[in-house]
Amino acid sequence: MLIELDKVCKTYNQGLANEVNALDEISLSITSQSMTCLQGASGSGKSTLLSIIGCIIPPTSGRAAIAGKQLTRLPDRFRTIHRRETIGFIFQRFNILPRLNVLDNICLPLQPLGIKPKEQKKRARVLMQTLGIDHRENFPADQISGGELQRVAIARALINDPPIILADEPTAHLDTKLSGEFMEIMARLRVNGKTIIITSHDPLVADHSAIDQTIAIRDGRIDVD
Amino acid sequence: MAFLEKHLNILDYSLSSIWQRRARNLSIILVFTGVIFLISSFQMLTTTLTQTAMTALEAAPEITIQKMVAGRQQSIPQSYTAHLDKIFGIRQIVPRIWGYYFDETSTANYTVVGLDTSLMPLSDQLPLTLSQGRLPADNGTGEVVLAPAIKKILAPNRRTFSLFRPDLSLKTMKVSGVFPDEANILTGDLITMNLADSRDLFQIPAGEVTDLCVYVANPAEIGTIADKISKALPDTRVVTRPQIKKTYQVVFSWRSGFASICLLTALAAFVIFSWDKASGLMPEEKREIAILKILGWQTGDIIAIRFWEGFIIATLAFILGYGLGFVHISLFNGTIFTPLLTGWSVLQPELHLTPRIKMNDLFLIFIFSVIPYLTATIIPAWRSAAIPPDSAIN
Repeated sequence: MLIELDKVCKTYNQGLANEVNALDEISLSITSQSMTCLQGASGSGKSTLLSIIGCIIPPTSGRAAIAGKQLTRLPDRFRTIHRRETIGFIFQRFNILPRLNVLDNICLPLQPLGIKPKEQKKRARVLMQTLGIDHRENFPADQISGGELQRVAIARALINDPPIILADEPTAHLDTKLSGEFMEIMARLRVNGKTIIITSHDPLVADHSAIDQTIAIRDGRIDVD
Repeated sequence: MAFLEKHLNILDYSLSSIWQRRARNLSIILVFTGVIFLISSFQMLTTTLTQTAMTALEAAPEITIQKMVAGRQQSIPQSYTAHLDKIFGIRQIVPRIWGYYFDETSTANYTVVGLDTSLMPLSDQLPLTLSQGRLPADNGTGEVVLAPAIKKILAPNRRTFSLFRPDLSLKTMKVSGVFPDEANILTGDLITMNLADSRDLFQIPAGEVTDLCVYVANPAEIGTIADKISKALPDTRVVTRPQIKKTYQVVFSWRSGFASICLLTALAAFVIFSWDKASGLMPEEKREIAILKILGWQTGDIIAIRFWEGFIIATLAFILGYGLGFVHISLFNGTIFTPLLTGWSVLQPELHLTPRIKMNDLFLIFIFSVIPYLTATIIPAWRSAAIPPDSAIN
């Protein structure tokens, strides 16, 4: 298994008056080269689950093994290293830095790795060409369309060639055509060996033919119904 | 190599970040430069003036004797020198009249020094070069050497002028020489003449002067000889050159200390300003830090970005401020601070200064300006980077 969670709980503000149990004993397994959709209403806990799988936050209890590494007691420094080696992120609002151009945004994950700028640009240009945004290379990120922003986000997630891609509500701000195109790109990545996890309540995502499994989350638990 | 490449990438990111937020960074650089300019100008001016004054004192007599009556200075009989004949180590005793002349027209006080320069030891090697003319002759010829500013007031475009004696009769003087601009810190308000003319001008009785200047053979013996003079002439005040030096230092220290407090207040205000500017991370900056963290940047990498940003801004402002301070002293003679440090006289000396930089002062200003600014930029970034960045994806 590439991703394995066993009775994972996440509690925010533990011991305080505003304590929130975001996840309650979540157990799931995800194999490599698969595409999984995490479904659930807003506040159901799917983004928290994605953050744990993405090594951004540790679980409060339970075991979480991502790409062979136990995350539960892993310090932040090592979680960060593991994250940049194994996971690519595509955010709901893309989270592209508007002050940088397209090329520099895509290269961001490579900079702390000590890769030379020439090599960074070479890798980024290959991805931009594959995704059809090579003509936007020097455009400021705040001057391109939503669909192009989405592709910049995909290119940035792939630049480190991570085995896992996590996408949080990636189609929430896209129209049907662009959402369809996004799912086609994800399907191609899956064929090319990536493991993809998408959180969404968009039926176009959940019902897509490339989705291998759909996991419904409700009130911090897996909804077995 | 990867480590070096990584830090070059971080430096590149910092530079692009500075450029992207250029309006805000420019305002910080301007204020920072202004503060460093004021502090460095003041520090260089203080050092330069103190050192110039100390150099000037090297030519002063080692011991000055003044007669005191009821705690106030009176004229001293020249015959007192006879009491000092037996003191071994005295090379020469030169009588001097030192007084002040108030000019009602310009409301300025001139310092009048009367002495016969030929009596001074090594008189042919006096470090008193004149821009024009010669020193006054020893006999009462009415010749004077004066500062360029005083010449402009008293004898513009002519060689003679008149001064009032205490009985309001006029004494005509003739300009025989003018002090050079370079010596303005010493001679800015000075009129020198021979002993006879100064006695005539102030109507001091014959055989009396204001001071007896004592030159000693061995400077190491100044204290011992001064003690012997005090014992031989108990009704006098014996002032030594080291004491005058100390007084100069105290006066400069007091003035510079006073101004330093004002400038440190400006520095403190800048630190508060920079803290406010730098520490109040804007939402988009916090979001940027969160995104970088999610993309695999370590907390240390984020701190390094902010360090380089702060270091580049602070160092640039420091170099600019210090450079401007240097120019202010060397080209504009410290116009802003000169009145504060050179006295409250109506007749301000026109100074021509060569800035002197003390490395420990330079280092001190760097430490007290750049380090607080760096702290103000790094700590908030570290706080933001230490928080789990999941808020950015929700």
